[in-house]
Amino acid sequence: MPAPSAPAPRPTARETAISLRGVSIGYDRPIIEGIDLDILKGEILFIGGGSGCGKTTLLSCLTALRKPLAGSITIDGVDIVDSDDDAIRSVRRRFGVMYQLGALFGGKTLLENVRLPLEEFTDLPDDVMDDVARAKLGLVGLGAHALKQPSEISGGMQKRAAIARALALDPPIIFLDEPSAGLDPVTSADLDAMIEALNRMLGTTFVIISHELASIFAIGQRFAMLDGARRKLVALGAPAELRDHSDDEWVRRFLNRVPTQES
Amino acid sequence: MPRRSKGADAPIAVSEGAGGVLIAPEGAIDAESIGRVRETLERKLPSRLAGAVTLDFSKVTHLDASGVSVAVFLFRLAKGAGVGFEITGADKDRRLLIDLALRGQEPQEPAKAPGFVREVGAASIAIRDGVVDLVRFIGEIALVCVHLVRYPQHLRVGDTIAAMARHGSDAIAVVGLLGFLIGAIIAFQTFDPMAKYGAKLQVADVVAVSVVRELGPLITAIILAGRSGSAFAAEIGTMKVTQELDALRTFGIDPVRFLVIPRLIATTVVTPMLAIWASILGVAGGYMILGAEGFTLAQYTDEVRQALTVGGFVQGLVKAAVFAILVASIGCLSGLRTGQGPGAVGLSTTRAVVAGIVAIILADSVLGAFFYTLGI
Ligand SMILES: Nc1ncnc2c1ncn2[C@@H]1O[C@H](COP(=O)(O)OP(=O)(O)O)[C@@H](O)[C@H]1O
Ligand SMILES: [Mg+2]
Repeated sequence: MPAPSAPAPRPTARETAISLRGVSIGYDRPIIEGIDLDILKGEILFIGGGSGCGKTTLLSCLTALRKPLAGSITIDGVDIVDSDDDAIRSVRRRFGVMYQLGALFGGKTLLENVRLPLEEFTDLPDDVMDDVARAKLGLVGLGAHALKQPSEISGGMQKRAAIARALALDPPIIFLDEPSAGLDPVTSADLDAMIEALNRMLGTTFVIISHELASIFAIGQRFAMLDGARRKLVALGAPAELRDHSDDEWVRRFLNRVPTQES
Repeated sequence: MPRRSKGADAPIAVSEGAGGVLIAPEGAIDAESIGRVRETLERKLPSRLAGAVTLDFSKVTHLDASGVSVAVFLFRLAKGAGVGFEITGADKDRRLLIDLALRGQEPQEPAKAPGFVREVGAASIAIRDGVVDLVRFIGEIALVCVHLVRYPQHLRVGDTIAAMARHGSDAIAVVGLLGFLIGAIIAFQTFDPMAKYGAKLQVADVVAVSVVRELGPLITAIILAGRSGSAFAAEIGTMKVTQELDALRTFGIDPVRFLVIPRLIATTVVTPMLAIWASILGVAGGYMILGAEGFTLAQYTDEVRQALTVGGFVQGLVKAAVFAILVASIGCLSGLRTGQGPGAVGLSTTRAVVAGIVAIILADSVLGAFFYTLGI
């Protein structure tokens, strides 16, 4: 019954997938400054922090959509801040992103949304692309909704369809911005199980922005916490460890869900 | 199935037994190899599935989410043929992914394209429904107007004035320019034929009558449909898509009173004024040609004054007001009836402009006949 396990893709001495050095992010003025962080190959890293503290902004810097105000970011050794467009384009092929609002292409069915990257970057026959797209939609629990339009499904379903689209090319790095917002607990747990299975089987690196404590403790290997008030990265470590033993009060309160008045 | 070859066969053992067909791929099934795997598999599969399909993963060394699609393909195939489907030799993680991926998958029936007659029928019904909807909507507007006569403080005065500026004064330049050019064009085109009958000065009559009664209001209304009808549909349609209309309703605020009435009143007030403006410039445009032919301004204005009647002037104003009501209500209605999705607002906008212009021309013919019968 047990199959010969896949060749362990996760490196033993863990290599760095994404490296941030002295990164400051923001718009006219910095929101978070001086981030030093190594995201390891094959890890599930959660990024948390109060709403509006800059998580989505950080994600757009990590995905090369905007430049940080200062510092350097490299993905698989390629500098994505100063490189030319060609280099950035080839790095982009190595990751999939689910944006906070889903950003599905309206007017296309879910199947067509997931197929789009396959059409652009592979030469698979039509019916194979359909089946690959169906499999990805099935993984996020939307197998029965492949032919619906984004406007015909709920917000939580749109987010999951966007995750399926991020998975379309089986990239080694996947960024998810608040994937479980709007999901019921069962669906959210299914999503966690899928993320964990992909991570174990293939060594896929997941960088997940989330406030969902249940997910963070269930599948998070490390947790990085941003603080908008102090404008910096205030904690990095195993979630349970930080919850019980962080010397930072705000981090403990966040991970223990303690309201402000009780501090 | 003819298909471009992708190099060497993928190693897949397909064996048919009494129980059904056993499929045992070897090596990697992933984004890289999926094309080759599928090609080999489809070639080796029996043409008719007689028994259950079993997919064995025990020799698969590497499986990713794209590779899982092989299971989806075989599952849908087996389901379509009415035979069983089974997975063996998958460890816990693979099992989990495959189980997730297979949930809810059904063989899909392709949607049948409707026939020609059916399409024509559906289109006719849609037009009829659209007209009924418009009439009902105008009734609804009338009811709100009755309410506003009783409670004038419920009128959104600020919004109405803002709409007058946006849809009236901002259109002065373009309406004036078109009016002037139309007047000049009419004079230019009719001058030679009229000159044949020695009626050069009577070109002024032609310009005055056609511009004041007909073309001034018509041009103004067509500009209105393009500038304002489309804007109404887009503004209200966007609010519909982003659920702002629902938010208004849950406050107990009627979107017709809140959004439609200010726009409707504003356009109904400003359009006749714009039409007068277009007519004045149209008459001026006519003089540009006649002046060049040597007629004095006094000759021209005398002739225009004789040609114009109060009835003709009133006819122009009434037309302009009716066109404004039609364009504004079609634009707003189109916005309120906006569907979902990113194309929806664009569709509503197009519909507002096209339906608006069609309605203007239809109403113009009806009103023309009406005034003729009245002898105005
Ligand atoms: N396009 C923008 N221009 C200026 N400020 C922005 C922009 N987008 C977001 N911000 C500000 O940056 C801060 C961080 O936003 P964001 O990264 O979206 O937070 P979150 O952590 O909730 O994802 C917020 O205070 C927000 O107001
Ligand atoms: Mg955010």
